[in-house]
Parts: sequence; C-alpha cells; structure tokens
Amino acid sequence: MNTVHDTPGRSDDPAAPLLARAQTLVTDLSLSSVHAWKTQHPDGLIVGYMPIYIPRPLLEALGCLPVSLFGGGDQVDIIKGDSYFQSYICHIPRSTIELLQSHRYDVLDAVLFPSICDVIRNLSGMWKLLHPQQLAEYVDLPQNFSPDIGGRFYRLEMQRIASALTSRGARPLTDDALREACARENVRRAAIRDMDAIRARQPWRIAASEAYLIIRAGGVLDTVEHTELIRAFTAAVAERKPRIYDNVRVIVVGSFCEQPPIDLIRTLEKAGCDILDDDFQLGLRLIEGDIDTSPNQDPLSALAAAFIDHGAATASRYIADCEKGAALVHKVRTLGADGVIFAAASFCDPALLDQPMLEAALDRADIPYTAFKFSENTGQFQVIREQAGAFSDSVKLWGKVA
Amino acid sequence: MSSSTKQHLTIGIDPGSSSVKVAIMTSYAGSDGRILATTTQRIRRRNVQSVVKATVDEACRAANVNWGDFDYVTSTGDGDAVEDKTGHFYSMTTHARGALYLVPTAKAVLDIGALHARAIRIAETGRVENHRMTSQCASGSGQFLENIARYLGVPLDDVGKLSVGAKKPETVSSICAVLAETDVINMVSREISTADILKGIHLSIAGRLVRLLRAIHSEGVVLVTGGLAKDEGLLSSLNDILVEETTKKNRHPVAELTFTTHHDGILAGAIGAALLGAYRYEQLERRGRLRDVVSTAQHDSVDP
Repeated sequence: MNTVHDTPGRSDDPAAPLLARAQTLVTDLSLSSVHAWKTQHPDGLIVGYMPIYIPRPLLEALGCLPVSLFGGGDQVDIIKGDSYFQSYICHIPRSTIELLQSHRYDVLDAVLFPSICDVIRNLSGMWKLLHPQQLAEYVDLPQNFSPDIGGRFYRLEMQRIASALTSRGARPLTDDALREACARENVRRAAIRDMDAIRARQPWRIAASEAYLIIRAGGVLDTVEHTELIRAFTAAVAERKPRIYDNVRVIVVGSFCEQPPIDLIRTLEKAGCDILDDDFQLGLRLIEGDIDTSPNQDPLSALAAAFIDHGAATASRYIADCEKGAALVHKVRTLGADGVIFAAASFCDPALLDQPMLEAALDRADIPYTAFKFSENTGQFQVIREQAGAFSDSVKLWGKVA
Repeated sequence: MSSSTKQHLTIGIDPGSSSVKVAIMTSYAGSDGRILATTTQRIRRRNVQSVVKATVDEACRAANVNWGDFDYVTSTGDGDAVEDKTGHFYSMTTHARGALYLVPTAKAVLDIGALHARAIRIAETGRVENHRMTSQCASGSGQFLENIARYLGVPLDDVGKLSVGAKKPETVSSICAVLAETDVINMVSREISTADILKGIHLSIAGRLVRLLRAIHSEGVVLVTGGLAKDEGLLSSLNDILVEETTKKNRHPVAELTFTTHHDGILAGAIGAALLGAYRYEQLERRGRLRDVVSTAQHDSVDP
C-alpha cells in the first residue's frame, strides 16, 4: 500500500501551504472536513456523488454539501471490495465499496450515481442493498441535447432528485436559492478558468499535479471556500520564480472518472511533459461557460440548459461520429499543445471505447499521441515514465512543431 | 542531422544509479561533434546533486569553459538531479545518439547500467525504432554482479578476467536475483571455483540481454554501453551466447549480431545528450521558440 506522498511545493514556495492543505483534504479518507461541516450545519445533508458530473448548485440550493467520491486511490487495500465485482472491470467501485463497508461513508446522508457506465449503475444497486438507510439515487443525465426533449427531461430529473432529498430533510428548493447557488458556481468556474489559463500559457508556473490537488480539494468544500482556495493559489503562484524547461506540451485525456494516482501525474511531468490541460475530475469543469442567473430566467431550466448547451465533450456524452474528436483537436490547436497522452483507467469502457475515434481524429489532424492505462492504485510508474519520456523526446526531436 | 553553420557549445549530464557522466562538446546542431572534455565520478554515498556539480565543474575546467557559455544544458538519466538544465532527454534517446557518434555503423545499443539493462534499436538518424528493458528484477544488471563480486571477495576489476578463464561454468537462475544469489551460495558450499561461478553469472546475464536484442529484432553492429561494457567476461559471454545460437541456427535462424565496445561507451548517454541539446537549440531557434526556454530561466510575472 502506498499512502505516503511527498508534500507538494518547496518550503520557499508561496503556494506551498495551500498545496499542503489541498493535499490533506484530498487524501483524508475519514472526511474530517465533511464531519466539521456537518457539525456547523446540523440541519444540512451531506450528499456524496460519483463521477463525472452532478449539478452541485442544485444540492447547495437545498442546503446540502456535495461531496465528490473518487474511491480510495492508492491509499486503500482492497479486501471486501473485490468480492462484489468481477475481475474485468475498473478499480474505483471496489475501493468505493471498501470505504463504504469500513464505515468511512457513514457521514453521508445520500449518494448520487450519475449515468456514466454499467459499473456505476451496478454500484448504485449495491449501495442500496448494503446501506438502505442512506438515500441512493441513480441520476439519468440526458443524451438527447434538444432543449425540448433532453432539457425538459433533465429538468424533471433534477426536480425528482430535489424532492427525494427534501423528503430526507433537505431545505425545499426555491428559485432564489438556486439562482444564488448558480451564481456562486459561476464565480468558482471563473476562478478555475483563470487558473487553467495561467497553466496553459505558463505550465512551468502551475504544474498539472498542483492544479489537480487544488481542484480536487473542492470535492469536500463548499463553493465559496473552494473559490477562495483557488484564488489564493492563483495569487500565490504569481509570486513564484519558476525555472523554465524545454518540455513538450501535452493534453491528457481519459481520466475523467477513476483518478490516476497523483504520483502518476508527477511521473508524466518528470518525463518532460508540461500538461496544459486534462480531464481529471472533469465534473467541476464540465460546464463550459456561465449558468444563466438572470432574474427573469427559471434557474432550474437555466441549470439544465447549461448542461445541454455547454457541457464539455467527453466520453459519457453522445457525440456523433462525424464530430468525435473535433473538440480535442480544437483544444490542441487553441492551446498550442504538441501532442496528446491518452491515460485511461484499465477496463474503463467509456474512455477506452472512445479512444480509437479520438485517435483517428488526431491522425487526421497529424497530431502525435501515445496511450497507456492505469489503475487508481498503480504503484509502479517506471514503464509509464519510459513511455512518456520516449514520447516527449520523439515529439521534441522529430515532431513538426514542438 | 542538420546543416547549421553556427557552432554550438553544449553539455550533456548523465546522472546514473552509480555514477555521474558529463560530456562537453561543440557541434553544428548536433552534427560534426567534437568532444572538449568528459568526466565521470562515482556517486558512492554522496548527495547526487553535489556529485553532479563536482563532475560538471571538473569538466568545465578541463574544457576551459564557463557555465554561462553553454547554448543548451541537457540532462539525461536522473534528470531531477540536474536543476539548472535547459531540457531533458530520456536515456534511450541519448544513448542511441551517443552510440551513433561513437560507432557510426551501430544498429543497436545494449546499455547495461547498475540497475537496468536495455536494448535499443536505432535508425540511421539516431531515432529510437524499438526498445526493450529488463524487468523489475535486478538479475540482469551491474548492481547484481557487483553484489556477487562482493560476496565472493573478488575486486570488481578482476571479475572479467576471472570469468574469461573459467573451465566449467555453472548455470545460475536467469530469472531472479534472489534465486541467483541462493544458487551462488550453493555453489560456494559445493566448492565450485570462483571463475566458474562468475562465468555462469555472466552467461546468465548475457542470455537475458541477447533475448532483449532478439525481441526488438535487431541485427548488425551492437554497441555495448553502460558500466558493464568494460567487463570483458560479460562481452565474452555475449559472444558465447551468439555461438550457441549459431549451433541451433538450422532449427531457428537468427539475424547476425556483432558486439562492439568503445572506450567512451560509458559516456554514450552524456555524449548523446550534448549532441541532442545542440540539435534542439538550432531547432528552437529555427522555430522562433528559443526565447521561451533557453534565453531566460525565469519569468518575473504572470502573463496578462
């Protein structure tokens, strides 16, 4: 079991305390900060949710704290979890069951399972059987993106979730509360966008592994507190005097659900890759743009429209063959990336079934790429470092643009 | 690699598991390279960064250049140990380029380091075409041989000579260093001669290394680099394995391999790094990206 990570940031780094705090939040499987929130908000509900995306403003408008559940990573030995799943599926449901059965999710009042794949659907059923006292709801996200069909369906789905949570003690949903929650979410998204923009322009100033920690810490914080953390981090990195290396600039794709170990991300960086953009823990960044919070707009419809009209292109979202990969190619061009690294969890059907189509789009656009698979508890990175290093060298020395 | 008319001064720094190797070179974008100085220092139990500094200082003095004179500072191997670098290239890439510099006819490199061994098939341009590494087990590495030499009370420099004089080599496990060490203990208790034990180990390692080369379909001249390139016993055993293959050739035809070494073979990574640094410098200059990475090591503010 690999539980010890290097504390990120150097001692003279102004961002070091913020990174240390983020790392503590990310690696704290006992969810201390969530327990603390519950103590301060005895009437509020704690709502866990699996990747990729859940409309967090809806939950905050109901007085709930949304908590993202990303499994146990490399911190948990799987003993009970393996007995619930066959061998040929991904790892995240095993460690999730392990944490559930070791009572580390007892603090949760409800859990939501957004539709992404059959494995997560099965997990929702197991959760219901194992912990019937907790509300466990499968959330169907629309795959029809017509506002009149998918938009209307999704609005009804959110209403259903809101009613279910209210029946468990959450505050009733009001337009004003939802509008305010959406506004707070817009502020957070702007903060993330600003951080991402610095990272894309000056990847030596913000490493992907650092951005990862800062964003993932938001999975156990309310929106305002998370926004403050991001803003403080962005301000701190501006004070850095970073050294610039001649690295290759890449985009990492495929890790939107089960998360790679943080040391794997650092391995890619050490192999000479500046990661300009990624889809790690995509949920907090899934909506591209602001949610409409104008007073004359029905906020629930606005939240539905944000997903329908501005949801990021990802494997769990239906995209016609002719357009598959267009968003990735556009991102590579826009950010000036030199190549793409596909990093999908082993047995992750959504990512791995999408990958050939994305690769074909990159081939057509003459963009180099490499691919590997990981598991959240992968502990040996030598092969990945070798592969990423060889890719980096190949792009730098023999590529057309790097 | 390029037809640049500007001469570049570059340094390649290769911190390995047991020693730091440095090469200072001039070249025209990596072509027509000339070595100004090379240095090697064993790490032993010292801090690797301080060894890097000492090795670089020694090389700079020998070449009569200053740190600020370099167009491009390239690390390879353990790049984390070289903070003041311009860029890093993976050791496969640099060994391939360095091998071509040392032996222009080389078609493959067999790099045998302290912890790993790897076979690399190279194109005429120096590009890596295929590669294969030993797995996590250390039984194909220099560190393993060093451990065995210590157990047997043989100075490392004598290992090769003793092995070449062996009469009846004993077979040892080629799979696992732990099992192999157990084999050696058994041999000592059976009073097998030290020479025969060492030869058996060399054959075991050589067998693994030839299999690596076969796995990447290499043929022609293979340059042996890394610390074990100086071990005549291992080189002899590599040739023994080829002879053994030849006797079975009618049943399993295999491509011709010829092993060769170079007195600077251990420096192949550092030499390749220095040459690739010059190539990369010229490439960045041509693409208008030089200022981004080479001319300044620091940015004072976040871009607007």
